[in-house]
Amino acid sequence: MSVIARVFEEAGLPTVSIALIKEHAKKAKPSRALFVPFPYGYPLGKPNDAEFQHRVIANALELLERPSGPVLEDFPEDAGPTEFVQASAVTSTEDAIKKDAANEVTALRAFYERWIEDGDGRTAVGLSGIPQRRFRGMIRFLQDFAQGEETDMKERPADVLLPQYVRYCVDDLKAFFFESRMAQRPQDSEPELQTWFWGDTAGGQLVAAIAKYMVDTGDEAMARVANGIAR
Amino acid sequence: MPRLDQLSEIQRQSAVYFPCLENDTAPWAPWTKDLSTSKVALVSSAGLHLRGDKPFGPGDPTYRVIPSDSNTADVIDSHTSIGWDRTGIYRDLNLAFPMDRLRELVDRKVIGSLSQDYYSFMGAQRDPRKIIEETGPQASEALHAQDVDLVFLVPV
Repeated sequence: MSVIARVFEEAGLPTVSIALIKEHAKKAKPSRALFVPFPYGYPLGKPNDAEFQHRVIANALELLERPSGPVLEDFPEDAGPTEFVQASAVTSTEDAIKKDAANEVTALRAFYERWIEDGDGRTAVGLSGIPQRRFRGMIRFLQDFAQGEETDMKERPADVLLPQYVRYCVDDLKAFFFESRMAQRPQDSEPELQTWFWGDTAGGQLVAAIAKYMVDTGDEAMARVANGIAR
Repeated sequence: MPRLDQLSEIQRQSAVYFPCLENDTAPWAPWTKDLSTSKVALVSSAGLHLRGDKPFGPGDPTYRVIPSDSNTADVIDSHTSIGWDRTGIYRDLNLAFPMDRLRELVDRKVIGSLSQDYYSFMGAQRDPRKIIEETGPQASEALHAQDVDLVFLVPV
């Protein structure tokens, strides 16, 4: 982000940036940056808290009053989850290993539809181009892929390589599972949601198996994509 | 924070050894306007785009255009890193792309207006040269063409 801020300033456009890593902002020197002590993924601190987000924005805009730079100031409040649980930190339950992700998708659909209804249509699903109603087919495709079988989806654009398309499917699947679960259990914290996905669902097992298959092929490009699927 | 001492070891190592550019000074476009009459643009590095637009791929230095009057329901991300927690923006896109907040600031007359288009890049790139030399300057031109007075940049 500092890189882009500097490009804009050099072109004569005044900028104000949020900085998540103070050490990087100190080195790269964007012109005006507000350091926020929040985790990655939470640059404005708290979801669904408009007033908190407005405080962050107001603090950032205040930096415009500084006469010279680089400006790097701290936002005074803390926010955001303190833990981000990745697949390797979770032990899978027996149940998750025995279940079929396709049946989970069917079972979660009512919650997913409630999520969309409650959020005025908001969903992070949409990278694969596969409609949610056809996710059982997407699961079969991903299961075949993780088994090393030759497989494909008609929705894959010609200029997107198969491993990258698998990544888009996985991102859609993760969004579907998380959004369904948040509709089902709105009180769950982020680490609880992540622990549930990686430990208690067949969907999580499938995603981890895809990453493992990609790494095991020994193909460097596959391994790079795998690193964005599960670790 | 991510305060470095609060990160998991893999995230900490990744942040400490990230090939961050080091600069001695910062370019400075002076701020001479009144915010309440200024036109503001929002630029993200979260790999965001409209649903149906081309997703980002590995090392992608291009950017996507997101009209400022878009509905937050139609904006999704395809950032290639899994080093950040998506749960927050699943719940509320404004957490990383405060489109509704900026509309509220216009209503409150804190800022004058919004640019027609917002932009999203994908950050955390190990080789930012194409962004510095090509796509960043293209975005600068597009912002100038809309008479933007201030750019608000939000990473993820």
